Amino acid sequence: MFKSLIIILASISTFALAENTSINGSVQSRCIISTDTEGTYGNPNAYTLTTAVSDGGVLAVTRFDVTLADAYYAQITAPNSFSTSPSLPDTVTWTGDTVVKAISDSTGMADYETNKVEFDYTDKYDMTATGSTWFKTTSAATMGGSKAYAGGSYTSLVLAECIAQ
Amino acid sequence: MKKLAVVLLLVSGLSYSHEMTPTYPKWKRAHLSGILKAKMELFNKRNDVEYYEIGVFNKDFEPVPFVSAYSVIKLKYLGKVVFDVFINSTDKSRVVYICSKSKLRKEDLRRTAVASRICSKFKD
Repeated sequence: MFKSLIIILASISTFALAENTSINGSVQSRCIISTDTEGTYGNPNAYTLTTAVSDGGVLAVTRFDVTLADAYYAQITAPNSFSTSPSLPDTVTWTGDTVVKAISDSTGMADYETNKVEFDYTDKYDMTATGSTWFKTTSAATMGGSKAYAGGSYTSLVLAECIAQ
Repeated sequence: MKKLAVVLLLVSGLSYSHEMTPTYPKWKRAHLSGILKAKMELFNKRNDVEYYEIGVFNKDFEPVPFVSAYSVIKLKYLGKVVFDVFINSTDKSRVVYICSKSKLRKEDLRRTAVASRICSKFKD
């Protein structure tokens, strides 16, 4: 009697241990845009704000991760206006450019920089390989007539876009 | 040292990213005749962003009328939202992109920031 009870209990406990807990997931193509480094303007003279490192600035760095080759374009647009600033005494001349800073696949991504398309402040890259790419963006804003920038905080936006092909 | 660099790289990647899926959505019939809907998912891993603006565009990135629960979605850091985008079926042929764009609040801007926009494409 006691042996039978033990066998029954053992069977029940076996059933309990056999219970499965599933973990479900799906993998799909995607593009992830990450802000790696926020830029900072240096102020080498009264009428220039620039992200150039030699002038005390910091370049904005954006990272793109893609999980499917030939599925996305990366478009990065350097700033051409301030998003916040004190009142400006004159018009501002903007310059900006984006270049590839680092790549995770030295073979598949080697041509990204040479094959990019540039228009206005925008650089467009064809993401032909999977992996991560870091882009650095430079920006400079020169006040017209060599007039001095007023004291205060100046910020602008780099637009990073991932557009499905 | 290399391990530390990799960890830092991963941590930095986890902190400030924005993603939207699927890359190639499909239109499905909504419960109302003449209306199509597409289901999208947005994930906010940018701790500097709380709002994302949804837009529907043609091939030239001109806006196309659409309806969604919110055109600007509030999404906390590490939050995920599934949302439907509805269009008139007569607009189906000209809709090419659904995009989400990060919206930065003026008072949160301290430096030259990055606005991110991800666009999914209708291929059929």
